[in-house]
Amino acid sequence: MTRATGRKPGFIHRFDPAVLTAFGCIILLLVLGSLYSRNFLSPDYLLQQLKVASFLGVIATGMMLVILLGQIDLSVPWAVATGAMMACAAAAYGPFGVALAIPFGILCGVAIGVVNGIGVAYLRIPSMIVTLATNAVAQGVMVVYTGGFSPQDSATAAMRYLATGGLIPGIPNVVFIWALIGGAMVFVLGRTGFGRAVYGIGNRERAAYLSGINTRRIVMIAFAVSGGLSAFGGVLLAGYASKAAQSMGDAYLLPAIAAVVLGGTSILGGRGTYLGTVAGVILITLLQSILSVMQMPEAGRQIIYGLMIVLMLLLYGRAPASR
Amino acid sequence: MESAAPLFRMEGISKRYGGVRALEKADLSVRAGAIHAILGENGAGKSTLIKIMAGVVAPDEGQMMLDGRAVDFASPAAANDAGIVCVFQELSLIPELSVADNIIISNPPTRFGMIDRKAQRRLAEEALARAGAADIHPLSLVKDLPLSRRQMVEIAKALARKPRILILDEATSALTAADVSKVFAVLKRLRAEGLALLYISHRMNEIAELADDCTVFRNGSKVASYPAGSKSDEEVIEMMIGREYHSVYPPKPERALQGVPVLEARNLSWTDRLQDISFSLHAGEILGLGGLDGQGQRDLLLALFGVLRGLRGTVHVDGKPVGIGSPAQARAQGIGMALIPEDRKTEGLMLPMTVRDNLSFASLDRLTRGGIIDSAKEQDFIDRMMTLLAIKAGSIDAPVGALSGGNQQKVVIAKWLMRQPRTILLNDPTRGIDVGTKQEIYQLLRRLADEGAAILFYSTDYAELIGCCDRVLVLYDGAVKRELVGAEITEHALIASALNIRSVESMHEGAAS
Repeated sequence: MTRATGRKPGFIHRFDPAVLTAFGCIILLLVLGSLYSRNFLSPDYLLQQLKVASFLGVIATGMMLVILLGQIDLSVPWAVATGAMMACAAAAYGPFGVALAIPFGILCGVAIGVVNGIGVAYLRIPSMIVTLATNAVAQGVMVVYTGGFSPQDSATAAMRYLATGGLIPGIPNVVFIWALIGGAMVFVLGRTGFGRAVYGIGNRERAAYLSGINTRRIVMIAFAVSGGLSAFGGVLLAGYASKAAQSMGDAYLLPAIAAVVLGGTSILGGRGTYLGTVAGVILITLLQSILSVMQMPEAGRQIIYGLMIVLMLLLYGRAPASR
Repeated sequence: MESAAPLFRMEGISKRYGGVRALEKADLSVRAGAIHAILGENGAGKSTLIKIMAGVVAPDEGQMMLDGRAVDFASPAAANDAGIVCVFQELSLIPELSVADNIIISNPPTRFGMIDRKAQRRLAEEALARAGAADIHPLSLVKDLPLSRRQMVEIAKALARKPRILILDEATSALTAADVSKVFAVLKRLRAEGLALLYISHRMNEIAELADDCTVFRNGSKVASYPAGSKSDEEVIEMMIGREYHSVYPPKPERALQGVPVLEARNLSWTDRLQDISFSLHAGEILGLGGLDGQGQRDLLLALFGVLRGLRGTVHVDGKPVGIGSPAQARAQGIGMALIPEDRKTEGLMLPMTVRDNLSFASLDRLTRGGIIDSAKEQDFIDRMMTLLAIKAGSIDAPVGALSGGNQQKVVIAKWLMRQPRTILLNDPTRGIDVGTKQEIYQLLRRLADEGAAILFYSTDYAELIGCCDRVLVLYDGAVKRELVGAEITEHALIASALNIRSVESMHEGAAS
């Protein structure tokens, strides 16, 4: 019994060098930014960044789960847009629709994730292909639905409240939401059988299967969660902007993957902590903000993300193989 | 041997893989115009010897002489150029290419830098005719050919390289009887043409028919070379075994098996790998699986564990038929099966994960309540297993990959014992681990059996089967060839039935007395 409590939480007893590096980079960015402008260290600015980061944080949480399995989810852009558009669309159907707007939006994302999961787990299609395909299908369906224009339906009051309101003055609700989802994820990964199975499959799917784990079900659930969280991110973004927009999710695919990888999660699966993802999300958000304050054009930003991912992969993809 | 100078000689060849000695000061002498058979048990060093000859691996020491000149092959291509060509046991053909493409794959005839299809086809036809397989169309795709035809293409491919020494490593194991006789005719013709042939087979009758010279290997060294026909089968097997086995095994209890068997297989068949296998396994019994490596033992264990699709036949647990479609079902309540898989590094463990995570991985369903892991219970289970198996680990939160091989294997066993399985399937569990741990595993198996577990134990080590098992099923070509009970389990009987020699009965009489 005494030793039972001896197990330290994952984020304390293994100080992943990647997580430290990511936090180090955050501090470095802030220091560099403060040389450019003092505002970079003001509480207002930092809180604003945390708020912006929360949207990415929700989406990256789902992405991390999928990457831990050694898979990838490229359907993020249109899962985000679908979640936003469907939630807004539901709002147009009277008070009942308004009440169900948020769950309906999330459910649409879960549906996309389930299709991804069936493709990967049961049909054995590489996740890179199947998620790209569902992304295209979701895009098509949404374009048909909206006629190619930004939909006229607007976000419900609840969506706006979640994204922009402040239950506690000074701290935006969306930060709480991210904290809740993040806390749940830490718990799931560290304390549940599902979490262990995710790490196990990511490390060696065959060994996990031969241990009697229902690997297909786990993979399926992970993709469904990823789709649902992407859609929820979309719902929050729609609440933030008061309405959904075409291609609103496009800006989240690469940053979500980058955040997870920069946080030290192995792109091959099986290794990584949620704290790392938190660091990655904040790092990406700050990088984005500082580059845009410095008036770095969008193209330059894309180049820098890409280079940073390659750099991190070089550093961590070559970790010594276990004996 | 004849006075003619040998075409090829190997002297003092040694090869180690890590700490394991595969060949120790081996020598071999091959003459032109003769078929030289190489015999030995699994792991006697035959494959390593051939790989060195064919330039696949480099020897640590020793030298090779071709035509009296020292040679040194940096790559298989270099060996090919010197005239040494190997037909490997595993098929090396590319299924999506045509027969002609495959035969001439290494140096196709070219015109203006492009492959000359006409010349290529002509060469392929010649090679096929030489291999006695003129009926194979050179433009058909390899994937459309049945396995035995593919093996003929493989031989044609080797002949197209104009070898002086042709090595056939289990080249006939995939062939039908009709093809075998064709191949034999071809080999005899090649011998008449003055080629040196090196022939490796586990089929003693083939060796008796073909070979001119024989060499027996054991534990990485040459035991003897002799002209074919000068020794009896019994003498040959004596040379192949050669060693004594030490008494590291726990005593076997005398126990009358009664009641309904825990596990019963009836007429299990799977593709062409398992053929009509039936057996029963009682509580408290250790049933061994013997035979040469790759005769269907691994497939049988995977089949029982629900991994193989398209299995025919039925499995009964406690006398009732059950359908096991996945490891998850195999381990479930009521069936209670556990499989210690073949390769602990890829099938048994997640090496980068901690000892704790690995130990509880197969029991997550029992350690969780509402999906949440009960850490107190987990710790309790783990403590018990660490003590029971005396697992030496610096910390249970260290990666399992940091443990020694023996301790890793203990973790694999422990993670299944945590479920208290009723039936334990073991796939060569002592491979590559130290003697001390092996001994502990033998003791453990007997103790588990005494406590009422039913154990199915596949081992490539005959001594283990003799020391541990109450009964042994010897598999050959996916079928049970013989069942040995109690005192019948001897090395003679095991090897003789593994090689499927006809004179098994007389040998067994001799060995048992």
